[in-house]
Amino acid sequence: MPLPREIDLLGIYMPTVTLLFLVTLAIGWGIDRVIAWFGLYTYAWHPILLRVSLFTCFYGVVALYFYQ
Amino acid sequence: MSWKKVISVLFTLLVFSAAAIIVRMLWVHYMDSPWTRDGRVRADVVNIAPDVSGLVVEMLVRDNQQVKKGDLLMRVDPDHYHLAVKQAEAEVAQQKSVMVMREDDARRRLDMDELVVSREARENSRHAVAEAQAAYRMALAKLDATRLNLARTEVRAPVDGYITNLETFEGDFAERGKAVMALVDSHSYYVYGYFEETRLPLISIGDKADLRLMSGERLTGTVDSIARGIYDRSNPQSRDLIADVNPTFNWVRLAQRIPVRIHLDDVPENVMLSAGLTCTITIKSSVDPATAPKPDRW
Repeated sequence: MPLPREIDLLGIYMPTVTLLFLVTLAIGWGIDRVIAWFGLYTYAWHPILLRVSLFTCFYGVVALYFYQ
Repeated sequence: MSWKKVISVLFTLLVFSAAAIIVRMLWVHYMDSPWTRDGRVRADVVNIAPDVSGLVVEMLVRDNQQVKKGDLLMRVDPDHYHLAVKQAEAEVAQQKSVMVMREDDARRRLDMDELVVSREARENSRHAVAEAQAAYRMALAKLDATRLNLARTEVRAPVDGYITNLETFEGDFAERGKAVMALVDSHSYYVYGYFEETRLPLISIGDKADLRLMSGERLTGTVDSIARGIYDRSNPQSRDLIADVNPTFNWVRLAQRIPVRIHLDDVPENVMLSAGLTCTITIKSSVDPATAPKPDRW
């Protein structure tokens, strides 16, 4: 699905990736909470690094999918 | 160190490197695909200037009015030009009578023999006829010129289009050759996309383009041509015939933007185009991105 390359955010024309970032941030936080609830982060070496990397992967894949 | 620990370290690093690779892919995709947000709608603007000077006595168009080719736009005061025509007609009559008189003279002299009229006088009269005929033709041409000027007091639209930013009114003095109004050619709308030079190898003439106006309308277009020259901003003007080179910083260089002209394929009825609108352009590249030259990136 081709997304418009820019989007009107409160009168400011921003690249769509910024909006996508906010959306994935919300969803990513939900996923993050679910994983934490199952206690899977206790097995990680560096929980914060793992969480940031997981979110980055998620955001990158979503953005690549919409921008192909 | 237990196996559990090693696996958890490896897993974290694996996810981290996957994240790094995906971010790089995203960046390269963003930077190396031929699209730009810096596109402008443009049109041919004809500067209408009267062919004769004079007072503007009638203005037949309003600002932003649509006009058809050949429509009367304004009228320059024709009084002077009417008088000029009358003057030229009188001159024609005068030259004509001079010519007839000389012809009659010449005929009369030709009929007499050489004892009465010298050969010189006869030849002179023949030449006088030729001169009078030339003067007559000149007067006729002058009459045509004054009639043309009179016709040109009516300023007509050279193309279909829209009058824009009309700042001339009845009573203004219009000078010959000085533009008094702008006419935007309604058949000439096109889009200029300012693409970074790093993306240019991905664009070729004939590629299809998706255009999106800032207000959301979608249009389609075709790459028409690519500009073959832009101004060198490092060397704006040479002074005293020597170059004026800007001492730029060595590390940071910005990609220049080259205009790419995009022909609009078809404009839907409900889309109103104005020269100057902003649009986002995405080009469907026909070049294989694997083989296209691209800047070295890490």
